[in-house]
Amino acid sequence: MSGEAKPSHKGGGFQLKVRGPREFYGGLALIALAIIAILASSELPGQHGFAFGPGTAPRMFATMLAVAGALVVLMGLLIDGPPVESFAIRGPSYVLVAILLFAGMIRGIDLNMIGLPFKIPSLGMVVSTFTAFIISIMGSSEMRWVESLIAAMVMTAFCVALFVYLLGLPFQLWPAF
Amino acid sequence: MTDLLANLALGFSVAANPYNIGFCLLGTLVGTLVGVLPGIGTVATVAMLLPITFGLPPIGALIMLAGIYYGAQYGGSTTSILVNIPGEATSVVTCLDGHQMARQGRAGAALSISAIGSFFAGCVATVLVAALGVPLTSLALLFGPAEYFSLMVLGLIFAVVLAKGSVLKAIAMILMGLLLSMVGSDLETGAGRMTFDIPELSDGIGFTNVAMGLFGFAEIIRNLEMSQESRNIVNAKISGLMPTRQDLIDSSGAIVRGTILGSILGILPGGGAVVASFAAYTFEKRVSKHPERFGRGAIQGVAAPESANNAAAQTSFIPLLTLGIPPNAVMALMVGAMTIHGIVPGPQVMTKQPELFWGMIASMWLGNLMLVIINLPLVGVWVTLLRVPYRLLYPSIIVFCCIGIYSINNSPTDVVIAAIFGLVGYWLVKHDFEPAPLVLAFVLGPLMEENLRRAMLIARGDVTVFATRPISAGLLAVAILLLVLAALPAIRKRRDEVFVESKN
Repeated sequence: MSGEAKPSHKGGGFQLKVRGPREFYGGLALIALAIIAILASSELPGQHGFAFGPGTAPRMFATMLAVAGALVVLMGLLIDGPPVESFAIRGPSYVLVAILLFAGMIRGIDLNMIGLPFKIPSLGMVVSTFTAFIISIMGSSEMRWVESLIAAMVMTAFCVALFVYLLGLPFQLWPAF
Repeated sequence: MTDLLANLALGFSVAANPYNIGFCLLGTLVGTLVGVLPGIGTVATVAMLLPITFGLPPIGALIMLAGIYYGAQYGGSTTSILVNIPGEATSVVTCLDGHQMARQGRAGAALSISAIGSFFAGCVATVLVAALGVPLTSLALLFGPAEYFSLMVLGLIFAVVLAKGSVLKAIAMILMGLLLSMVGSDLETGAGRMTFDIPELSDGIGFTNVAMGLFGFAEIIRNLEMSQESRNIVNAKISGLMPTRQDLIDSSGAIVRGTILGSILGILPGGGAVVASFAAYTFEKRVSKHPERFGRGAIQGVAAPESANNAAAQTSFIPLLTLGIPPNAVMALMVGAMTIHGIVPGPQVMTKQPELFWGMIASMWLGNLMLVIINLPLVGVWVTLLRVPYRLLYPSIIVFCCIGIYSINNSPTDVVIAAIFGLVGYWLVKHDFEPAPLVLAFVLGPLMEENLRRAMLIARGDVTVFATRPISAGLLAVAILLLVLAALPAIRKRRDEVFVESKN
């Protein structure tokens, strides 16, 4: 498991170290996912008689995924590969916040369930779309306010026209408290 | 033959209905529009526009979605040629020679050759879909659960072999997709599986959420971190749209070869337009008497991949319409669209709803014709669109995706799930995992499990059933053979070469 450079006694003294970090850590994550899946489906009844139970297939595929993950880890130990590129934080965070805000605002959400003493009222499509646009555009390094506000208004109007008037989807447009 | 003509006649009578022509036109235009815009791929486009087709009649909806798909193939080439930024993954190789031609002042010729090649490929592929539809459908009727299971295994193996990068990692992605598809209620017993007691997960993870997350949001996040390179649009006025006689002679062979290669690769599961265009370019370079001209504005380097990706885009409908098995991620979305309209994809579509089946095929030909007639004069409009800076484009795409996802079930949770898959997709890209096999496996997962369970039940728990039934055994043998071949060092090197071509 550990990526330390420990001399291995097998294979005539080659070093056991992480050669392909993308594979090594990727494989570890897959193994973790497989273990979660096995735990999550451990209570489901398995095969009885000739019939598969609901738990059979998930456990089967999860086990196979764990094996595949282990092989990928092995690949990371044996084959040289490029390092993992650093993850950008700024852009993705803004985009993520924008999407989550949209989800929270369009119908309203009580954040008590994740332990926050807030309640977002149901703000409707116009406000949520406009907010999501502005927040996500802030993730760009070249954002300009005037241009962005105009674009946000145009896009909001376009979406309202398309989804609500042309397609006739039953969206709540304006805030309702 | 007369049957075929009668069927096509029925198809054209459906497709020529003014409404359906309208949907076809709208689909091809929207497809081209999104294809032209870089930073959003075909899968995300189709996923994004899926909700728009909900209110339409089934035939109209499918015609429009098909139009979006091959319109996007076509639109991608325009950006490749004029801006040297591929609008779609399928047009990556078109950049190599297409943009060189544009710099030499032959943008018009490149655009029109790509249009002519696409149209020719579209015509051939339409006939192919029509001709192969009937025999394959009758083959499908011989299939039992064991055969269906083996066929899907073969399809997934194809996806592995044709995916970029490591075979092992592609297999891991397939398994991850299968596992994710099992979340939700069990089909037979209704037991909640891996739902972690979250009520929203009891219906399973929606396919559109996964597709939008992995292909829409993840792509945007990824693009954001790249430096916003300035786009050097070829500003010279595009004059002389018509190719010269010499251009036509030079490219005719490439168009035919690209069409054949693309048609074959499109039918194969896991393939589709992206692989087709790479393969056609590589092949063309190999058979050419002047391989040194490639990359310097060889017209064959535009003609072959553009014909191939269009042919593949269309022939990939064959497994979907006849066997009910989507060969790639876009076709998987078509399954979603058909299911929403109450159509179960598979052999029964052709017998029970012939007007839908043949109408769709005929509309493909009409759509291709429209692309040529409408799009060449509109090149200027599409180029103007490219001047919209990416910093304004991506928030629009995000907002549009959010509303689209929300509109499917009126569920904010779906939007959150898509956001999570956006992060997952970003992580996958960073670790060199391909999301496409995952998505294909995600769609095939429930079908596969169902058939596996049925096959085992019928065979009274005997696993050898997959090897003793001849068709199933044959399919599995091909799957194993492919996997072995893909793992062989010599073939792997060749396979890597095909993909490396894009980076040069």
